[in-house]
Amino acid sequence: MSEAVATAEQIHGHDDHPAHLQHHFVTSDQQFEASKMGMWLFLITEILLFSGMFVAYTVYRVWHPEVFQGVSSLLDWRLGGLNTIVLLASSFTVAMSIHFAQKNNQKGLVINLVITLLCACIFLVVKYFEYTGKFSHGIFPGIAYHPHGDYAVYDIPYAGQFFSIYYIMTGIHGFHVLVGIGVFIWITIRAIKGDFTSAYYTPVELTGLYWHLVDIIWIFLFPLLYLI
Amino acid sequence: MAHDSHSGHHIVSQRVLITVFASLVALTVLTVITAQFVDIGVLNLPLALSIAGLKAMLVVTFFMALKYDNPMNSLILGIGVICVTVFLVFTLFDTAFRGDMPNVDSQTISDTEGRNLNQEAREAREESAGAQH
Repeated sequence: MSEAVATAEQIHGHDDHPAHLQHHFVTSDQQFEASKMGMWLFLITEILLFSGMFVAYTVYRVWHPEVFQGVSSLLDWRLGGLNTIVLLASSFTVAMSIHFAQKNNQKGLVINLVITLLCACIFLVVKYFEYTGKFSHGIFPGIAYHPHGDYAVYDIPYAGQFFSIYYIMTGIHGFHVLVGIGVFIWITIRAIKGDFTSAYYTPVELTGLYWHLVDIIWIFLFPLLYLI
Repeated sequence: MAHDSHSGHHIVSQRVLITVFASLVALTVLTVITAQFVDIGVLNLPLALSIAGLKAMLVVTFFMALKYDNPMNSLILGIGVICVTVFLVFTLFDTAFRGDMPNVDSQTISDTEGRNLNQEAREAREESAGAQH
């Protein structure tokens, strides 16, 4: 055990260790590793949450493959593809922000966090136009599914099932994007205030992990709902 | 003994991050082309899922930096993936092999091989009734 740590333990003062280091950790590295493992455990619960919906999708698709294949063409792959690129770009910028935090480059950190935030907002705006476009044709989830006009031909059995799954999955995913926006606003403000250095950037790292998971969920949602 | 410095943290280089991002965009374009413009029949679904899996692996390995991380975090992810696989596969053992079970229409009850059991039973009854006369 290093001398500095021993001194900090004897005195229990705040002068002998970094401000971010809590007393129940020996070193900053130990605290960082523990935080990251906690985040991974949380991400597993997120994966399990979404897996329930993916299993529901698979079961109903196996039961009515032709219906799922037919009505999925109603979703615009261009908008879905655009959102995929937007989310991938935001994943890239959040990885870049961590890269700059590790190099003590505050400007690079803040710029990349702001771009990430903008991408998250673009994603939700595109999603808003997709939802309202579907609503205008009477494509609602569950028993509210009553396509009219040109879309009346899609009023077939089990088509509503596909759109219920679509709205639930993209809705809960969209909620995660919304939560991400909130967290990124907080992280960006702290980054601007200069809270993060190469010695302490745990919140950026953990938010990044969360954001990458949101990206991965979409990587699977895009082909399953829009393409095949 | 670990020090209070962060010299141990691996910094993923900009070159790697840019390469991974470019690969992810290329794979997205590929999955759109193969799904929308090239029809390869029954392979459409496995191909789209393989591309999605590959993209997810790139994100996990480089963006989430599991490649350079404590292996414990990879183990945690692995256990999660195994749990999801068990969940999916064991559910399909049930739901994918129910045959015509949910069909309660008295006229069209058929077994998993598509034989109409009602009709067979009716024919058997008529046959035995004919034999009595």
